[in-house]
Amino acid sequence: MSHSLFSRRTARCLLALLLLTGSTVESFAANLRLEAKLIWGTNDEKSPDPAHKEVDAATKEKLRNVFKWKNYFAVNRVTKPVPSRGSNHFKLSDECTIEIKELEGPTVEVKLIGKGKEVHKTTLTISKGQSVVYSGDDKNQSAWFVVITELGEK
Amino acid sequence: MNWEQQLELQAWVDGELSAGDARRVSAFADAHADARALVTELRMAKAFIAPNEFEVKVPDTREFYWSQVQRRIESAESVRETSPALSWPFVWRRLVSPLSGVALVAFLAVVSFNTFRGPAIEDGSRHMVEVENLSDDVGSISYRSQSENMFVVYLYKKDQDNEAQAEPMDDSFFQ
Repeated sequence: MSHSLFSRRTARCLLALLLLTGSTVESFAANLRLEAKLIWGTNDEKSPDPAHKEVDAATKEKLRNVFKWKNYFAVNRVTKPVPSRGSNHFKLSDECTIEIKELEGPTVEVKLIGKGKEVHKTTLTISKGQSVVYSGDDKNQSAWFVVITELGEK
Repeated sequence: MNWEQQLELQAWVDGELSAGDARRVSAFADAHADARALVTELRMAKAFIAPNEFEVKVPDTREFYWSQVQRRIESAESVRETSPALSWPFVWRRLVSPLSGVALVAFLAVVSFNTFRGPAIEDGSRHMVEVENLSDDVGSISYRSQSENMFVVYLYKKDQDNEAQAEPMDDSFFQ
């Protein structure tokens, strides 16, 4: 009797361990959900392009605390998942694409592609709420920004 | 005289044969001298052993003896029937044992998850950043804002390099 009881207990524990291990592995291998925004920064009150809308207050405040421009307008916004150990492309304009690759651990490789050519690569640990910002000067004392934010695991 | 015939003679002497077989064996013994001699010896041996055979007698009566055997069988069966009835502590222990095992495994999984993921992020790998310029024409300056939880990479054309270095970043691009 004790032998069969032990066998059943062992089987139950192994099953529980298997399920738990599976769920743990699943959580480690979860996909990332990232948002990439192309933003134009200027000191002008309005954008010359009526399609551009002012960014939300939180983003504006965040950018204002780091950069010198007063106003920020959203040009494009792309939200995509990045599969575990995989990559995805975020096309923000005809000339600007971001490639994001999920690496081992909570690390991502962000590659900026301009006019079809790879321009810059950043490899860093990204966490929810953290932003990676690519920026550069534009005409008339304005600037462009690519803001990449992790929205959480999908 | 073969072995079978000898056995038949012994069975005849012991009175174990049917009437027909007994007549046949009797006729055989009368016809053969060696058979008659064997029968004589067998009867002598039987006469010698039978009175001295050890006999064991049960001191109790037959009914009393078998009633005791029956009572013992019944009591053994009643014990076997009552034993599967499990007590509450035993049932509780049976439920708790696997649960405690699962809880232990879950605890270890959570601890290992925090050990291998949480502190590693906090300690150093969180701030490890690799930047690489992939274009010869473009330079970069990277900057981390802890307050805004932001990592900034400022890109500029190489022909602006001298200008960028000449002016402090605070004045040219960042607040």
